[in-house]
Amino acid sequence: MPTDQPHTAARIAAALRRTLPVVAVLIALLCLWEGARLAFAIPAQRLPPLSAIVETMLTRTQGGNGPLLIAQMLVNAWATFQVALGGFLLGTLLGCALALLFLQVSTLERGLLPYVVGSQMVPILALAPLVVVGLGRAGAPPWVARMVVVAYLTFFPVTVGMLRGLRAASPESLALMRSYAAGPWQTIWKLRLPMALPYLFTALKIAASASVIGAIVAELPSGAREGIGMMILTAAQFYNSRPPALFLAILVAGLLGVFCYSLVALAERLVVGGPRRRHARGAE
Amino acid sequence: MSDTGMIEFDRVSKLYPVSGGSVTALHDVSLSIAPGEFVALIGPSGCGKSTLMRLIGDLDQPSSGGLRVNGKPPAQARRDRDYGIVFQAPVLYDWRTIRKNVELPLEIMGSPAPVRRERALSLLRLVGLGEFAEAYPQQLSGGMQQRAAIARALSFEPPILLMDEPFGALDEITRERLQLELLNIWASAAPRPTVIFVTHSIPEAVFLADRVVVMSPRPGRVRQLVSVDLPRPRAFETREDPRFFALVTQVREWLRSAE
Repeated sequence: MPTDQPHTAARIAAALRRTLPVVAVLIALLCLWEGARLAFAIPAQRLPPLSAIVETMLTRTQGGNGPLLIAQMLVNAWATFQVALGGFLLGTLLGCALALLFLQVSTLERGLLPYVVGSQMVPILALAPLVVVGLGRAGAPPWVARMVVVAYLTFFPVTVGMLRGLRAASPESLALMRSYAAGPWQTIWKLRLPMALPYLFTALKIAASASVIGAIVAELPSGAREGIGMMILTAAQFYNSRPPALFLAILVAGLLGVFCYSLVALAERLVVGGPRRRHARGAE
Repeated sequence: MSDTGMIEFDRVSKLYPVSGGSVTALHDVSLSIAPGEFVALIGPSGCGKSTLMRLIGDLDQPSSGGLRVNGKPPAQARRDRDYGIVFQAPVLYDWRTIRKNVELPLEIMGSPAPVRRERALSLLRLVGLGEFAEAYPQQLSGGMQQRAAIARALSFEPPILLMDEPFGALDEITRERLQLELLNIWASAAPRPTVIFVTHSIPEAVFLADRVVVMSPRPGRVRQLVSVDLPRPRAFETREDPRFFALVTQVREWLRSAE
């Protein structure tokens, strides 16, 4: 049985075991990129060499006087992240509220769920301009409209995952609560909610990636001056003169998604991971 | 019918609806259980012994007949927290430590944290889990988990203990040890709780109970009441007593004739 503080060497070894596969895949991908470029003689215009991307990353913007392009991209990514986070929290709140509502009133679930599902069938690309323009006319600042678009994308997985989790308690564990004459909120708070957490976090991971997509898509019709979506758009416009910039923007957007996912994974480790993981390890 | 019993069944029937009709889980059951009595319910699968227990606990409602628990309708008895229940599975909440699991009923009933803690710790010592108070359920063996479940049921000192095959999933050795422990806990409580103990095991029923209720299936009904006149406190040697064997044989024959 491992002690509370494993040996430092063992800890490093464990960390290496976790990170090594990621690094290996990264190297393999880079090799594949360069290999394909050389093997099929793809012109730099269609697939720029990695060196060109790194070079572009480190060029100065605004005709040589501004910050590095990569720094500018990261600042823009940060702006997108803030919108994604706000919308994610809004969507999570809405999703949890809907799940609780559906749990308590199953008639509502039967009535509303088809529309909730239907709402997700509308392409966000079509809906985002409507929301942005509509809310803009109503006088809301553009970041509100963007958060609403993100929330629209994120509430659905949270509703479905949370509802499933809230219903995951076994009949016997519910009978136990009944035998203590527990009130409905006590049953939710002390049994259903802790039971639902693993399901909720699975949903939140999906929602986290969706929130980045939502925030990027919402930037396009809102005429935003900052955001990684705008950077992608700008880079696409100037693709012919500088192809690596678009690849760089896409890369940064991808990393933003990974970052958001990791934040949820970290929160999961802190909230659910705690006791449940500890005993899983201790059960040896 | 007397109304001095802790639990009074008066011609109780229970029907479950199934597609195209209904199935009778319990038929015309009358039974009186005295305060402090240890009663074992035994019978083959489908004889309604678990249903009978669920009716007492207001986890199911009778289709007809009268049922009083601690002098009240079962729903009222449940709201008054008149019984503690133990299932075949321990049903511990795996995000809570053993101590916090035992505290759960007290927490719901609103007793203050220091009181709960004290009570949980003393109960855990009573069931031999004193040093596992801060462990999580998965760290414990099946027998230890079931001990914790018993401690949890006793935590709020209910006058009635409902046990639905609590040792059914344990190995024979652990099972016999826990039977003795249960009797010790029961005997040391003042006042003694009334115990309804559902089991599949004939020796277990005879060893534990004051009275064995032999039930027959399809429809579930009470076939025979067997009084167990073995002296208390019962001990390991009780199982070697010729009288024990005679009673086991008697129950077995009633069960066979009930088929």
